[in-house]
Amino acid sequence: MTTEQNNIQSDITADTAAPTAVVDNVPAAEDTDKNAFVPELLTVTPSPHIRAADTTRTIMLDVCIALLPALIFGIYIFGLRALTVTAIAVIFAMLSEFIWEKLMKKPVTVLDFSAVVTGLLIGMNMPVSVPLWIPAVGSVFAIIVVKQLFGGLGKNFVNPALAARVFLFAWPAHLNTFVSPDAQLSPIAISVPDAVASATPLVALKNGILPTSTSLFNAALGYESGCLGETSALLLTAGFIYLLVRRVITWHIPVSFIGTVFLLSYIFPQSTPTLDFALYEILSGGLFLGAIFMATDYVTSPITNKGRVIYGIGCGALTVFIRYFGGYNEGVSFAILIMNLLVWYLDRYTKPTRFGGAKVGKAKK
Amino acid sequence: MSKEVTHLALTFNGGIHVEEHKNTRGCVVEAMTPPALVSIPMSQHIGIHAEPCVGVGDTVLRGQRIGEVEAGLGCPVHSSISGKVIRIDERSTATGARIRNIVIENDGRMEVHPDIAPWGKTLADTTTEEIVEIVRNAGISGMGGATFPTYAKINSALGKVEHIIVNCAECEPFITANHRLLLENPGAVIGGLKILLKAFGIRQGEIAIEDNKSDAIRMLKELTEDSELVKIHVLKTKYPQGDERQIIYALTGKELPMGKLPADVGCCIFNAETCAAIYNAFVSGMPLVERIVTVDGDCIKNPKNVLVPIGTSYRDLIAFCGGLTREPKKIVNGGPMMGFAQWDIDSPVTKGTSAILALSEDIEHPYEQPIACIRCGRCVRGCPMKLMPNYLAMFSMQDKLDMAEQFDITSCVECGSCSYSCPAHVPISQYIRATKIKVIERSRAMLIAREKSQNK
Repeated sequence: MTTEQNNIQSDITADTAAPTAVVDNVPAAEDTDKNAFVPELLTVTPSPHIRAADTTRTIMLDVCIALLPALIFGIYIFGLRALTVTAIAVIFAMLSEFIWEKLMKKPVTVLDFSAVVTGLLIGMNMPVSVPLWIPAVGSVFAIIVVKQLFGGLGKNFVNPALAARVFLFAWPAHLNTFVSPDAQLSPIAISVPDAVASATPLVALKNGILPTSTSLFNAALGYESGCLGETSALLLTAGFIYLLVRRVITWHIPVSFIGTVFLLSYIFPQSTPTLDFALYEILSGGLFLGAIFMATDYVTSPITNKGRVIYGIGCGALTVFIRYFGGYNEGVSFAILIMNLLVWYLDRYTKPTRFGGAKVGKAKK
Repeated sequence: MSKEVTHLALTFNGGIHVEEHKNTRGCVVEAMTPPALVSIPMSQHIGIHAEPCVGVGDTVLRGQRIGEVEAGLGCPVHSSISGKVIRIDERSTATGARIRNIVIENDGRMEVHPDIAPWGKTLADTTTEEIVEIVRNAGISGMGGATFPTYAKINSALGKVEHIIVNCAECEPFITANHRLLLENPGAVIGGLKILLKAFGIRQGEIAIEDNKSDAIRMLKELTEDSELVKIHVLKTKYPQGDERQIIYALTGKELPMGKLPADVGCCIFNAETCAAIYNAFVSGMPLVERIVTVDGDCIKNPKNVLVPIGTSYRDLIAFCGGLTREPKKIVNGGPMMGFAQWDIDSPVTKGTSAILALSEDIEHPYEQPIACIRCGRCVRGCPMKLMPNYLAMFSMQDKLDMAEQFDITSCVECGSCSYSCPAHVPISQYIRATKIKVIERSRAMLIAREKSQNK
């Protein structure tokens, strides 16, 4: 109500208030006009009596919205099959959550959109050429084994989408075969065995040379081969900014993660010029998707800002270590999963000093 | 809000931005038609209860002492109307305690007790002891909600204090009682502050006010422009800015250690209306028998700021504001963040009642079933005491008192910021409150056991 309206109202009532009969303490029949709405029973709860509008659902929806630009770009460059792969992942994630909760007679939480986020992330972490049963198996594994068997939302200790992706490495040929953009594969064929493989920039980087298949500009834009949702660092960053503006996540994990990868690649380059090498390292592979959307998964990342920075640095260092010395070209998924396991310790040892708990009172800034 | 005040705004770390709902900020304070009955509790604050010094059938006058405290921490109680004592009974008050009430039937004359007279001397000639006595005799206790007897606060802080701070933050949503007081009677607040300065022998007092009250800030600045006596501090609008720990931090940069009083870090903080009550007691001799109450909420027909005789029932007060337009889910005494939900609409307004809110389900968010914590961190970000409420709630659910203690559960001030911001609707502060009591009781029991074994 505006101030003006209020003034008018109080003016009116000031005139009429004086003759108002004051009611007795004991409600009598003639007071009914004033006390018409006094309920028999009032609700009594501890304070607070109001709440913020945010819910788990609005948060998860925000994450979905933030993922959309990169996903749409993936569909644009890899063709409609990218949509099919992602849709299968999402549908199977939702279905397995629904069926499990029905079977276990638990409240159905499909509409909180957390399974949708898991499905989206599984889909966007697939090469577009995977057989269509792969994302389905991945989603079922993520929801049933990693999430529900540990107690459902909020109880899993590793990120379901990442754990599913690592589980799917049991079929390395499917997970590590990439096609070039514009391959235009059939959107509905279960598998596309005749797809022409194309090396991602990571392969070149692994061999200590700068990729020739894509320029730095195209790598930032996302016009390169790779998983269908991971290529566009630019659009993933747009999603990051959206999440920051909506105060869904903080900057700490993505910035320290990507920053660490950049710094380590710059200090220990495998190729020259150093700056180009370091830029290719951060713009190639799943770093932006992982750092912005998977390492920041609330459930499996630290809750303190200090813990988040340490966690991000740890993810970055492990990523570079695996990329340099590991058997796979990409290390983002492994790095995040390993750091997931340390979250409780990071939280515990970065617990903020309580207000008034510092030994010496802090001087005024 | 004007730019020149915002860029200087002081504040604390953490805290939350709450929708303000300050619907009544434009509502001039209206004096209420005195009700037919008042029911005056013998205890309206921390400390021992007063003993009735009038009996059933006695005629009492406005301002007459009706409850007396012989010794110990406590204030006398005064009648807010003139009339006849018709019964003395027990009734539950805002916090739920059963307390003796003197019920007075209004004779409609509002006759003032003949002893009520201005303090004869000038402020310069008044000693500290006399000021403390005036404050005690007027029955003044903190009017911000915590209701500590003001004379005792002054006594315990004498000689230790360099900052006298008037708390005008009013960070709770809905409440505009202090805001209106500052706009309509700033002289009383400043006057009360000057009396306190004299009592403490301090040259400069400070007024702390949130930057959402720019009109009041401008007015206070104009009034105190040429005076060295009063300094205005503009605070950022944030909840719980009005918590005295956060005000001290914002103004001095000092963190009040746990278990210490503001006086231990050189500060003494008074609510704005408490200052005005001190001023009134000094200039007119009238004890604390009425206060400004914001009556608001989406079920109230005409939300208002009302000058209410102490002891008026919520029912009469709501009727004075046009009654209810729909069925409220809750009636809250105080602000929506820390106020108490009431079960008895006939409970009386006391010295600590800053607001009466009738909230429907639309504002009092429909209590969905809490769902799982997703560790989003909003509670950690918002905790003004820098605790980790998510873990405290988890340890509470698992009854892990050791872990809860390690994570500083006893530092919680129960401001409710965590529950407010939880997207999973986990009643975090409720869990913490319950477990905090267990932890405190356990350490008390351990202390007693240790003392016993040492004495053997």
